[in-house]
Amino acid sequence: MKSILLTISAAAVMGLLGSCTKEPLNNLTEDESRIYITNRDSSANFSSYTTFSIVDSVSVISNNRLEGKDITAYDAAVIDALKTRLQQQGYTLVSKSQSPDIGINVSRIYNTYSGIVSYPDYWGSYYGYWDPFYWGYPGYGYGFPTWYGSYQITEGALSIDALDLKDAGAEKQIKGVWMGLVRGSGVFRTQNAANHIKSLFDQSTYFKSGQ
Amino acid sequence: MKTSYKIIAVLIAGLFTAGVTQAQEGRLNLNINYSINTPTGNFKDVIDKTSYRSWAASLLYGINDKLSIGLGTGFQDFYQKYPRQVYKLDDGSDISAVLTNSIQAIPVLAQVQYNFTPQSAIQPYVGVGVGGNLVLYRQYVGEFENSKSKFGFAARPEAGIFVPFRKGGPSGITLRADYNYMPVKYNDLDGMSNWGAGIGVKFPLQ
Repeated sequence: MKSILLTISAAAVMGLLGSCTKEPLNNLTEDESRIYITNRDSSANFSSYTTFSIVDSVSVISNNRLEGKDITAYDAAVIDALKTRLQQQGYTLVSKSQSPDIGINVSRIYNTYSGIVSYPDYWGSYYGYWDPFYWGYPGYGYGFPTWYGSYQITEGALSIDALDLKDAGAEKQIKGVWMGLVRGSGVFRTQNAANHIKSLFDQSTYFKSGQ
Repeated sequence: MKTSYKIIAVLIAGLFTAGVTQAQEGRLNLNINYSINTPTGNFKDVIDKTSYRSWAASLLYGINDKLSIGLGTGFQDFYQKYPRQVYKLDDGSDISAVLTNSIQAIPVLAQVQYNFTPQSAIQPYVGVGVGGNLVLYRQYVGEFENSKSKFGFAARPEAGIFVPFRKGGPSGITLRADYNYMPVKYNDLDGMSNWGAGIGVKFPLQ
């Protein structure tokens, strides 16, 4: 009887000690949970652009379907932060009718499938939701270099794409030259919007005008 | 968590008071140790923080008063969170993230132990275990997990002292140090060898 009790006690001690694993997710703050990913076309010369324009609403993409365009307080905060930061980077904000060198698309993406840091053609999946007509090039296709990776998304992500409109006419293609992606908890909190833009551009030191 | 520690303390106290006074020969002895483990070698490139959440155990049969053989196991939990920084990926992209490495190891070892002075009040011993190691490797980029389980070789030489509750008795306290050789490879992880030290109890199951 004594040895049975001893064995049970020993097993219980082992089990309890085994449950002492320090769980990473329980030790992350909301800020720490987020990741900021940027990539660019290495052939693009960001200093050659001088003007930019930005969409007036955000496209909402859910499970690979365009749900529509929206402009919530959060969306407005993202667009405002982008306008401010790009001007700080030396670009001049113009309307889209004034032939901007760069067009900025903003998207909110909601997906339910999971995966981490894999790159199955992110832009290949989402660029088409922005009608080239918006940028004054009806009928043109989007062209994105193959380096543009993709991330499978478990919940929501904020996606920002910079398009080369300056050379679109000559190349008959709207070329993506930069992407920024924010994932993690609190991505869509309005008070975090400015920090998202700051983080994306702080790590993209090449993204500045030569003017 | 605090409740867990209290329960552990009560159970260990129970083990201490359950001394059975028989010699080692022909007996099956269970030895359970709380352990502190410190990464060494290449393992420090992934995690260099000491773990205070590990244990080691062995179930040994006494062939004679000095020599016993059996099985060894344990549990080691290593964790380290790195502050946010920008990492450059192979495809040219930049990713800013808080990186967390979390690695657990469960060795299963064939073990032999030699007790130098089985009748004395303080009994030094040495031992070695050789076998396999189940490793759960998890890396979090922000909150996004990349995990992999692997089974690999493991060896655990150890040395320590056994202090019986009464002279010549089979139950008592053990103080031990070991080296956990674990040459596992996955991603940035190139081995997870570590030094361990701990305190525990030994008692017969028969």
